[in-house]
Amino acid sequence: MVRVLLWILDRLEEILIGSLMAAATLIIFASVLYRYGSGIPALYPYFHQIHFSWAQELSIYMLIWMAKFGAAYGVRTGIHVGVDVLINQLHGGLRKKVILFGLLCGALFTGIVGTMGADFVIGLMSTDQVSPDMELPSWIVYACIPLGSYLMCFRFLQVAWSYWRTGQLPHHDAAHVEDIAEAEKPDHVGGVAA
Amino acid sequence: MNAAIIFVLLFGLMLTGMPISISLGLTVLTFLFTMTEVPITSVGLKLFTGLDNFGIMAIPFFILTGQFLTRGGVARRMINFTVSLVGHWPGGLGLAGVFACALFAAISGSSVATVVAIGSIVLPAMVDHGFPKRFGAGVIATSGALGLLVPPSIILVLYGVSTNSSIGALFMAGIVPGIILATLLATVTWFIAWRNDYPRLPRATWAQRLKAFRDGVWGLLLIAIVLGGIYGGIFTPTEAAAVSAVYAFFITVFVYRELRLRDVPKVLLNAANLSAMLLYIITNAVLFSFLMTHEQIPQAMAAWIVDKHFGVWAFLLVVNIILLLAGNVMEPSSILLIMAPILFPLATNLGVNPIHLGILMAVNMEVGLCHPPVGLNLYVGSGIAKMGITEMTIAVLPWLFALLTFLVIVTYVPDISLWLPRFLGVLH
Repeated sequence: MVRVLLWILDRLEEILIGSLMAAATLIIFASVLYRYGSGIPALYPYFHQIHFSWAQELSIYMLIWMAKFGAAYGVRTGIHVGVDVLINQLHGGLRKKVILFGLLCGALFTGIVGTMGADFVIGLMSTDQVSPDMELPSWIVYACIPLGSYLMCFRFLQVAWSYWRTGQLPHHDAAHVEDIAEAEKPDHVGGVAA
Repeated sequence: MNAAIIFVLLFGLMLTGMPISISLGLTVLTFLFTMTEVPITSVGLKLFTGLDNFGIMAIPFFILTGQFLTRGGVARRMINFTVSLVGHWPGGLGLAGVFACALFAAISGSSVATVVAIGSIVLPAMVDHGFPKRFGAGVIATSGALGLLVPPSIILVLYGVSTNSSIGALFMAGIVPGIILATLLATVTWFIAWRNDYPRLPRATWAQRLKAFRDGVWGLLLIAIVLGGIYGGIFTPTEAAAVSAVYAFFITVFVYRELRLRDVPKVLLNAANLSAMLLYIITNAVLFSFLMTHEQIPQAMAAWIVDKHFGVWAFLLVVNIILLLAGNVMEPSSILLIMAPILFPLATNLGVNPIHLGILMAVNMEVGLCHPPVGLNLYVGSGIAKMGITEMTIAVLPWLFALLTFLVIVTYVPDISLWLPRFLGVLH
């Protein structure tokens, strides 16, 4: 049961950040097209009814949401870089303790930030502050701080727990590119050599 | 005194190996909790407002562009093109690798992406043709660093955002140094290959060159879109980034057909992962520089420098030494985000052009990428070449030396960086 829930959480997180990324890119692309499209007289009648003034704001908000939830996803994939010069010199129990300390500090920081964010958002709910262009209620916009930070806190605890149990840390490998290394060789070079 | 506490705390936390973003954030929180009266809620707000900036959004879009391009056969076509041009010179494949790195850097904005994309194709080909592996690994790991300097560079966007400098001007300023550095690296490659009589490829015919150019032109067009678009005032750097991401998607999926549509979600997820990591460092670096300003640390340092009658010459020397030392423990974007807000006021105080400082920092970060213990390019290179880090370190030495020489030149000849933006009128 817990496994299924976790699986659903993982997939939701991935779908959310992937689609926010795609949507924000497309919105900005469309707004550029729109700006130049509306300059063409033939297209003007179709274009002038659409308003794109909200595009910039919406894409910024989408990317901030993407960043907050993506940071949590990043804990799970081990992409957050640290200074490992010292801990690579340590061995055995001490190393394990230092790494756990680091992970728990992560959980502590994100937990505090999440709580501060939640306070702030709850305070906003009683006001009718809205965002400048789209006039979205501000508390919805800012809700990504507590939600994202708490999720990130949870991910830190999850990683710390599995490290405690198994000694395994998630590791992001920058050099790893699938499909490319095996499949491709320059044709021209190959051609000349053959 | 406060400055000492802040930095000791920061370095102490960093040494435990926790993410740099977390150590920055915790330093700020601890300091604010214990030593000041600053309302803590304002910190939570800063985590949002720190990102609420259209300029920053160029970063995820450029990362997405890079993710599409590394998977879509663009790199291979660029290599074919440069091979057809310079393959018959001594060390032909190596030279072609340098220039392919420069071209790929001009469309992707990331150094690691460049090493991966070009290296994973050129290196095996070089080994097949009888080049020593060390030579190939050295060429690619150092040339990939061009990604930080040649526009569109994510590092330059970060610098522009954190110091409020014009990203367009920074991009233009990166062009001439980028070309000079590529030439310098190519010269070293040529010289080593010529001394050791490394294999050459047969000279390509003009028909072959034309064909290679036509194949690669879709990728090369991206350079024109980004630089021409920004300089021509057609769009802002962020819009240019979004347009190039859509363009990169289009050519890799529909023109070159090397990326299947069903792999696109994976590309998006990877790009989101990388960008979120960078944006998370940015938010925490914003917090950190808020703390710095609140404690007036840059001002105090500036006063000290003025008091000691430090000249520009000595200041730039100290800046380089600090950055090179930092390059031993941290990766480029963190160094830049921590140091730029501190160095920027000092530099303007001494009359150093901010754009020049940005280029200087980018070149410095390139050096840091190419030497141990944290040089990411070395690790990527060693992953592709299946070589140990120690051997990689020896392999890059000749090019690393060229990079350091270039750093000195860029530091003390500001005109290399400033000439083009002034000529184009984007800098006054």
